[in-house]
Amino acid sequence: MTLIAVSVTMILLAGIAAAALARHPAVGELLFRVLFGAGSIAGAIPALTVLSAGTVPDVSLAPTTPFGPWVFGLDALSAVFLLAILSVGTACAFYGLTYLAPERGRRAVSAAHLLLAVLVASLSLAVVARAALPFLIAWEVMAVAAYLLVVLEHERRKVRRAGMIYVVATHVGTLLLFALFAIWGGGTSDLSFHALAAHPPFSAGRGGMLLAVALIAFGLKAGAFPFHFWLPEAHAAAPAHVSALMSGVVIKMGIYGLLRTIVLFGAPPPWWGWVVLALGAVSGVLGVVWALAQHDLKRLLAFHSVENIGIILLGVGAGALGVAYGHPLIAVLGFAGAALHTLNHALFKSLLFLAAGSVIHATGTREIDRLGGLARSMPVTTATFLIGSVAIVGLPPLNGFVSEWVVYQALLRGVSVGDAMQFAGLAVVVLALMGALALACFVKVIGVVYLGAPRHALATRPLESAGGMVRPLVGLAAACVVIGLVPIAVVPPAIRVGSLVAGLPAGTAGFTRTTAAGPATVFTVALAVSLVVAWGLYLTLSRRGRPAQAPTWGCGYPMPTPRMAYTASSFAAPLLDVFRSFAGVRTHRTAQAFATHALDPVLDEVLVPAWRGIRSGAAWLRHAQRGGLSRYLLWVGAAVVASLLYLLAGGRSP
Amino acid sequence: MTPDGLLALGLLGMAAPAVPGIAVKTKSLLTGRRGPPVFQLYADLAKLVRKGRVYSRTTTLVFRAGPVVALASLILAALFLPLDGREAPARFAGDMVAFAGLLALGRFALVLAAMDTGSSFEGLGASREVTIASFAEPTLFLCFMALVLAAGDLSLSGILGTPLAAAWPHAGASLSLVGVSLFVLLLAENSRVPVDDPATHLELTMIHEVIVLDHGGPDLALILYGSALKLTLFGVLVVSVLVPRAGFSGPAALALLFAGLGAVAVAVGVVESVMARVRLVRVPQLLVGAAALALVATILQLR
Repeated sequence: MTLIAVSVTMILLAGIAAAALARHPAVGELLFRVLFGAGSIAGAIPALTVLSAGTVPDVSLAPTTPFGPWVFGLDALSAVFLLAILSVGTACAFYGLTYLAPERGRRAVSAAHLLLAVLVASLSLAVVARAALPFLIAWEVMAVAAYLLVVLEHERRKVRRAGMIYVVATHVGTLLLFALFAIWGGGTSDLSFHALAAHPPFSAGRGGMLLAVALIAFGLKAGAFPFHFWLPEAHAAAPAHVSALMSGVVIKMGIYGLLRTIVLFGAPPPWWGWVVLALGAVSGVLGVVWALAQHDLKRLLAFHSVENIGIILLGVGAGALGVAYGHPLIAVLGFAGAALHTLNHALFKSLLFLAAGSVIHATGTREIDRLGGLARSMPVTTATFLIGSVAIVGLPPLNGFVSEWVVYQALLRGVSVGDAMQFAGLAVVVLALMGALALACFVKVIGVVYLGAPRHALATRPLESAGGMVRPLVGLAAACVVIGLVPIAVVPPAIRVGSLVAGLPAGTAGFTRTTAAGPATVFTVALAVSLVVAWGLYLTLSRRGRPAQAPTWGCGYPMPTPRMAYTASSFAAPLLDVFRSFAGVRTHRTAQAFATHALDPVLDEVLVPAWRGIRSGAAWLRHAQRGGLSRYLLWVGAAVVASLLYLLAGGRSP
Repeated sequence: MTPDGLLALGLLGMAAPAVPGIAVKTKSLLTGRRGPPVFQLYADLAKLVRKGRVYSRTTTLVFRAGPVVALASLILAALFLPLDGREAPARFAGDMVAFAGLLALGRFALVLAAMDTGSSFEGLGASREVTIASFAEPTLFLCFMALVLAAGDLSLSGILGTPLAAAWPHAGASLSLVGVSLFVLLLAENSRVPVDDPATHLELTMIHEVIVLDHGGPDLALILYGSALKLTLFGVLVVSVLVPRAGFSGPAALALLFAGLGAVAVAVGVVESVMARVRLVRVPQLLVGAAALALVATILQLR
């Protein structure tokens, strides 16, 4: 735990150094890099120790602190999240230095670096906190720091709106967490997690309420349907490296919360598992369908986060049902798949957001249909985005495949057990549908943004981003490749996490053998090798003669122009046609142009109208608030009389 | 990995181009024409590999890598199929996810290569290809689920090999439905009538044919061979479900498989002779119908 304390302190110091030396950015940013990097390494060491079956003792601050001792600890569950936080946090922080550099004169750039450091430090503290109060403090610091980073470009109206929606959503979540701990503690003064875990058995009603509150509170943070409405707004409004950190890590805190709740609560009842599974299925399918409908690069990626939270929730749901129906293997596989997909999604989603930021930086637009042919001018960004896409679609041999394979196994094993769990197996179909739709969506993005010819003339010729932005991309892409190639290295730790959440002893050898991580490693390596060998063979065999160059064949049409190239709207149209009943898509069709425009069904069609309704319905209350002293005295008098009447009528005095 | 398994795989790879040939021959004979020889594709491939290459100026490395990645992933996918009806050269728990992932990887590579040309025709084909795949993949997994239920194993060797033969007596009805569903998938995934028409080249009806418009020479050879191999792999799935071969000796099982593949090819030809292509908007309905069959097959086995 000392190393964790060192890590958090160094990351905070890095932020302070960047802010204090704002007048000397070269020195400040060098110090920021060194301290942040060293802090991350210091934190990663204990995390890796715990994941490879080591232990780290808990530490407890002075027992006189309010609401019981402030305990901090690191177990496998915390460690996997800590690893995601530190790796993605470092990549985003380093990227942010270069990304924000051109804004130095106009904005408080160094304050943004400080806020990012605070955000990463609070995230780390939230996952190692083992008592309600430090957890809530870290949670709130995290929410506020993220809010301030989202509204960095606050002169734009849309950004302010997104920030407001985010801050309201996150605070509703925090309030529910207060309620959660209040219900759980039930009036005791010790709210450390040990004490919460050792609670006397709850009545079905109170336990159920607790789990429902936890699901809503953490679901809001995770951005699961129907609580996803804040997510695309906030992620699209924030600067690229902040979007990457939020989408990669901050929303995962919701998943951490759910898994931690299961650890502390013990076996959840079956209905909870079914609800989580259903939320996962709905979030997954709707997330990817909505993503298909987006033509704003960052909003599209944000909706894919909803989809991937769906995949993770499918794992959590399968795990919870496995616990509830007494199938330990399914429980472990479900939770392990969820934990592994959390880490993987953190890596590839932040990679995709950073690569998208690189495109926006170079071209000045986020409209997919205005881009095209960037592969020629931005080769590294294109290659890393391609790697991130293969990973997020869940194709072998990259990391997305490994974690989805574990979730698939949990569900497929569910199919052949003889009880209600069988019906959970049907979620396999949903997972397959998500994978295929995600493939369609990323073909659309890569095809329209990076391949083909530019659809519109841009103001300036796009150039590859500076090294400071490219290096984090390469690092994250390398992590995706390595995890994909050696499932045998990552599945056993994930199984350890899964066993912890499922409440089983740590012996994992048996489970790892059943998951076939070894043969899977042989497979992914063999695939990678054969792709390389096939490419080499092809190059040597087809060396004869230089290939001729020609224009793309226009099917006999003499003058094809880039304006005729397929757009994102047209590409997604056949799929959106099928899903039109819930895709929330508006179509604009004229003789020469076809475009679709997406609305958010929850935010634009439910929440905003509901809020307007509440506001106009509450308008009559304004008559009570006219500011005249006599009127207020009248209200006070009326209240006194009403209380007296209540007591006279036999009501209880408080 | 046994030498026998690899030998069987080699034979399958050599026979693959004949499968679409048989389908075309059947269609020709049924519609009163002589048709090209069954082994026409071999001659086409031999001609194409000797040709030079032409690349569009719009394209990048993605276009050149497409056919190679597509074919390599199909060959690896073939390793998971138990050709002798018992055991595949490669197997592990959940390898059906790898199998489906490899098919998806091949599709991803080809479709991106199509988008790389910047041609609106190829964009159209790419869009249709991924749309159809979005319905085909869940259907494939529904079929796998029914098979997992029947055979109680999590690998393709298990659900198509020895345990499946044991499941036929008590789950025959369900397995027949899975066979039908897989056959519809075969038609959809391989761009055959009633989903696509492999005979048209420049109509707006087509899907697979249009995404390879700009490929020529050795690249086109790789793609054509890949298509034949994919058709064959789906044929192996159909035959393995409908004709369990675990009880036969190795050579007999293999002979049975090839006879079955021939029958599947003839069936494809018959379908192409008696049906018209359905409208594109109806294709998802066709696939959802196949998914419903597989779902019924699953439900029949739930206890």
